[in-house]
Amino acid sequence: MSLLREAERCVANQYSHNFNAFITPLARAGQWLDRVREADERQEQGTPKSAVDGRLISVKDNICTRDLPTTCASGILEKYTSPFNATVVDRLEAAGAVVAGKTNLDEFGMGSNSINSRFGPVKNPRRDASGEFLSAGGSSGGSAASVAADQCYASLGTDTGGSVRLPAAYTGTVGFKPSYGLISRWGVVAYANSLDTVGILGKSTANVRDIFDILNEHDHRDPTSLSVFSRERIQHSLHNPQLTSRLKSTPLRIGVPVEYNVSEMTSSVRRAWAHSLAHLKKQGHTIHSISLPDTKHALSTYYVLGPAEASSNLAKYDGVRYGTRAEGPDGDGRPDGYLYANTRGEGFGQEVKRRITLGTFSLSANAIDNYFIQAQRVRRLVQKDFDAVFTAKHPLAAHGTGITKDNDVDVIICPTAPSSPPRLSDLMDKSKPKSPLEGYVTDVYTVPASLAGLPAISVPVTVSGEQEAELAGIQVIGQYGDDHLVMKVGEMLEGKHLD
Amino acid sequence: MLRSCLRRGTLRTLSVRPLNPALSFPRAYSTPTQERVPLRKQLKQEAKFLRSHKKQRKEDEEASRQEWELTVGVEIHAQLDTEAKLFSPATSTSDIPNSNVALFDLAFPGTQPEFQIATLLPALRAAIALNCEIQPVSRFDRKHYFYQDQPSGYQITQYYEPFARNGYVDLYAYDGIAPEDGDRVRIDIKQLQLEQDTAKSQEYPPTTQLLDFNRVSHPLIEIITMPQIHTPATAAACVRKLQSIVQSCGAVTTGMELGGLRVDVNVSVRRRDAAAGQHHYNGISGLGQRTEIKNLSSFKAVEDAIIAEKNRQIGVLESGGVIEGETRGWTIGSTETRRLRGKEGDVDYRYMPDPDIPPLIIGQDLLANLNSTLPTSPDSLITLLVGAEHRLSIDDAKPLIELDDGARLEYYHDVVEALHTLQADQDTATRASLGRSVGNWVLHELGGLLTKSDRAWDAEIVPAQSLAHLIDELQRKRITGPTAKLVLATIFDGDRRPVSQILEEENLLLRPLSREEYVALAQSVMALNPQMIEQIRSKNQLGKLGWFVGQMMRTGEKGRVEAPKAEEILKELILGPAV
Repeated sequence: MSLLREAERCVANQYSHNFNAFITPLARAGQWLDRVREADERQEQGTPKSAVDGRLISVKDNICTRDLPTTCASGILEKYTSPFNATVVDRLEAAGAVVAGKTNLDEFGMGSNSINSRFGPVKNPRRDASGEFLSAGGSSGGSAASVAADQCYASLGTDTGGSVRLPAAYTGTVGFKPSYGLISRWGVVAYANSLDTVGILGKSTANVRDIFDILNEHDHRDPTSLSVFSRERIQHSLHNPQLTSRLKSTPLRIGVPVEYNVSEMTSSVRRAWAHSLAHLKKQGHTIHSISLPDTKHALSTYYVLGPAEASSNLAKYDGVRYGTRAEGPDGDGRPDGYLYANTRGEGFGQEVKRRITLGTFSLSANAIDNYFIQAQRVRRLVQKDFDAVFTAKHPLAAHGTGITKDNDVDVIICPTAPSSPPRLSDLMDKSKPKSPLEGYVTDVYTVPASLAGLPAISVPVTVSGEQEAELAGIQVIGQYGDDHLVMKVGEMLEGKHLD
Repeated sequence: MLRSCLRRGTLRTLSVRPLNPALSFPRAYSTPTQERVPLRKQLKQEAKFLRSHKKQRKEDEEASRQEWELTVGVEIHAQLDTEAKLFSPATSTSDIPNSNVALFDLAFPGTQPEFQIATLLPALRAAIALNCEIQPVSRFDRKHYFYQDQPSGYQITQYYEPFARNGYVDLYAYDGIAPEDGDRVRIDIKQLQLEQDTAKSQEYPPTTQLLDFNRVSHPLIEIITMPQIHTPATAAACVRKLQSIVQSCGAVTTGMELGGLRVDVNVSVRRRDAAAGQHHYNGISGLGQRTEIKNLSSFKAVEDAIIAEKNRQIGVLESGGVIEGETRGWTIGSTETRRLRGKEGDVDYRYMPDPDIPPLIIGQDLLANLNSTLPTSPDSLITLLVGAEHRLSIDDAKPLIELDDGARLEYYHDVVEALHTLQADQDTATRASLGRSVGNWVLHELGGLLTKSDRAWDAEIVPAQSLAHLIDELQRKRITGPTAKLVLATIFDGDRRPVSQILEEENLLLRPLSREEYVALAQSVMALNPQMIEQIRSKNQLGKLGWFVGQMMRTGEKGRVEAPKAEEILKELILGPAV
C-alpha cells in the first residue's frame, strides 16, 4: 500500500470512528497530501528520508505545534496555538513525517483514564464483552486510541508517571517511555518537569524504535536534555563485554519484584504476567526474584512530587499574555486584587485544581519538610533500589560500585497495570462518587520507573481467559540508558498469545 | 560640581520639609488673617525653628539611644550590568516596551530556561568585591507569588544555595557612619544571590494596567547583610557604600537615583538593660521582634525610615504594646512608616528547587581570572589618594572617586601625570604638592564651571594636557591665580589654542611690577581712605589691610598685581619697614 493510501485511510478513520481520540484531527485536504506524495516518490526511488518518511504521527495535545492548536485539554488553553514547534515535532517533520492531528488527554496530563478533558473523555477502541465502552487509560489516552484505531501510524505522548504505558496496556498497543533526558522536552508543556518524558506509542516495538532513534538527540534548548558528553558516557558503559553479550551469547537474567505482587492485581493480569515469564524461561532466560523494598512508598512519593511541580508550573496560566480569560473584569474590582482569580477558577478542571491545591500545600512552609523534601528522599531510595538489582550500573552515577552480585538482573518484568481497563460508564457515573485515590492505584507499577528516570515499555500480550482471550500490558523496565535492551525484550513478548 | 551638588541636595530636602506636618512652622505665618511678617524675618524664624527642632531631635535621639538598642539588617536588589537576561537569549537594550522579550520571559507553555553565562561575570565581581566566599556549587529555586508583573507565577532566585556567602563590608568614618560607631565598623554579608527582575507595570485606574516585559528576567543580585547595624546613619552609609562598591567593580551601573538599586531594611529594637530578646535572624539571637520596610529608594529614605520605624517601635513598647512581625512601607517626606501587610497576610513563597535548571558550578580558574582583573576598590583608592603620593583631603578624595563613574578620577590621574612630566625639573617638595593642587582644580574650579553651565562631565571639554599646562604656569608663578581661572574658563568655553598661545596672545603672562610701581599703586589707594589707614596704625587692625590689597588688585594692570607682594608693600608703607 502506498504511503498516500495509508495516510488517507488513517485520516478517514479519524472522521469515521469517533473515539474522541483527537482534539484537532488532521484536515482531509491540505498541504500534507503533497508531502506524503513526495515521500512516496522517494520511497520508489529508494531514497526515503527516514523510516517514518511520509507516515502520519499523531501528537498529544500538550506538545506544541505551530500549525495546530495546543490546548492541553484545558479550558484555559482552549483556543491557544503555540508560536513554535516542539523540538520533537521539528525532528519528526524533518524526517518526513506528518503530524496527524493533536490527540486528547487528561488536562495537562493529570489523570489515568483520559476523562479529565475539556473536550470530553477518550473512548477505548476495545469494548468489553457486553459492548460497554472502556477507559483508554491516561493521560495519553487519545494517542493510544488513535494508534489502536488505525487513525495514524504512531503517536507521541508524554509519560510522567505512566501516562504512555498505561494507555498502551489498556488499548493493546506498544508504549515506550525512554530514559529521562534522552528526548527533548522543549515545547512539551510541563506537568512535572523532573518526571515528564516524551513517550512513543505504536503498533509494534519496531515502529517505536524507529521513532525513538530519530528523537534521541541532544537539544540545547532543553536544559534537562542529556549532553553529548553524557550520551557518550552511557554508550561507553554499555560497551562493557558483559553487557554487549546480553541476548547474543548469554541468556537474560529477568527480575521479578516480590513487592509488585499487590492485592489489587486481578487474576487475568496475574496470569498474563506468569505466562510471560514462563514464555521467556522456555527460551532459555532465567527468572529471579528480586526485592525493591521502597516500592510501597513510590506511589505516595509520586503524588507529592507531581502535584508540587504542577502547582508551580501551572502558576503561569492567568489569561494575561495568552490563553482564555474569564468574562468581565477579574480580581473582585479591588485595586490590589489578583487580576485572574476567576480566570483560573473557570479555566482549570477539577483534577487539575485538586493537584494544584495538593502541591501548594506540600510546598508551603509548614508542610515542605514532611512532604516535598521527604518525598525527594524517598525518590532517591527508589532509584537506589533499582541500582541495587541491575547488572548494569547507573552510567551517570558518581560512584558506581562496579561490583556485580550473583542475583543481579538485566531487566525487570511486571504488569503495566494491576487490572484491565475500567468501564467509562463506571468512571463517569456521578451517582457513584469515587475517591481520587482509587484512580491513583492504577499507576502503582508505572510510577517507580518514572521516579528513577528509567526506560520502560508496555507491550500487549493475550492470555486465554475463562470465557474469552484477555489482553494485558506487560512492562519491561531496564537500567538508565539501557533503552534498546528494554525494547528488544519487549519485542520478545509483544503480541504473543500465551497459554 | 560636588559641592554644588550637595548644596542642591540640601535645598531639595529643605523645600520638602514645609510639607511635613511634624516640622510645620507656626501656623501664624501661613494664615492670611495674621499681620504680614516681613520675608527676611520669616526666613530667619524658620531657620531658627529648624535649628532648634534639629537640636531637639538630636537630643531625643541620643536619649532613646541610651535606653534602646536599634538593630538593622539591609537587603539590596541591584540590576547587574549586562545586556543578557538571566535565563533567555533576549537582550535588554531597547526602550520600546515589550521589544526585548523571549518566549520564556513571557512564560509561554513549553518553553524552558536557558542560563546565560554572561550574567555571571558581574555577579561574581560583586561577590569578590564584597569579600564573599564563592560557592563552587549553587542552585536556583522558584519563589512563588501571583502578580501580573511576574509572568510565570514565580521568580527564579537562589534561596537554598546562593552563589556567594559570608562576605563583609567595612565602613569608615569618611563613609558617614554615626560617630558612636567610631572610626570603622564591619558589617557581615550573609549572602549574595542571583535572581530575576520583574516586569514594569503601570496602573491606569480604574480598569487599565499596562505591562512592559522588557525588564522581566533581567539579572539582579540580592545582597543580604547580617543584622549588625545599630544606627540609622550607619545603615544609610552601609547602603551608600554597598552601592559604590558594586558600581566601582563593574557589577552594576544604575544607582538608586535611577531605580537600579532597591533597598529593604529590617528593623528591631530592644531595651539595653532588659533580658535578651526572643528573636533571632540570620543566626543572630537576642533581638526584638523585627519589621521589614520595603522598597526604599534613596539613602535619605533609608535613614529617615529607620528613625521613624525605630521611634514607632519604641513608642509601642513604651506604652505596653507588642511589635507585630509585619511588612511596612515608607513614603518620601513622611514621618511614619505605614503598615503594608501583617504576618497573617504574609506570602508563603513555597520555595522549590527549579527542576529544569541544573546546578551552577563555578570553577577556580574563572575566579582567579576575575580576581586579577577586578578594579581597585574605593577604599584602596581613598588610601592611595590621601597617602603621601597625592596628599588629597578625604573630602576631595571621595568625590573624585565617586563622580562620573570614575571618569573624573581618571582625568585627575591624566592631569597629574602630564604635570609630573612638565615639572620634572622641580624639587621633590614642590612635586609632592601637585596632587592636592590638581585635585582642587579638577574638582572645584572645573567642577564649578560645569555646574554653572549645567554641562555633564566630558574629559574633552578641557583637555588634561591643557589643565596641566595651566597649573604648571601658575605653579611657576608665570601667571596669577585669577589669570589661571580666567584661562580655564576660556578653554572651557571652547578656546582650542594651546595654553601658551592664549597667554601670549591675550597678554596674560605675569610681567611683575617693579617695587616703584607697587609703591606708587599702594600710595594711590592709601589716599582713598586715610581714616582706615589711621585705624590700622593706631589699633593695629591688620584685617583692614585686605581692603587696600583688593583696591590695588582692581586698580592695577590686570594680571600683574600679585596679592602677597601688594600686601607686603602696604604693610611697609603703613606700619613702617619690618625690623
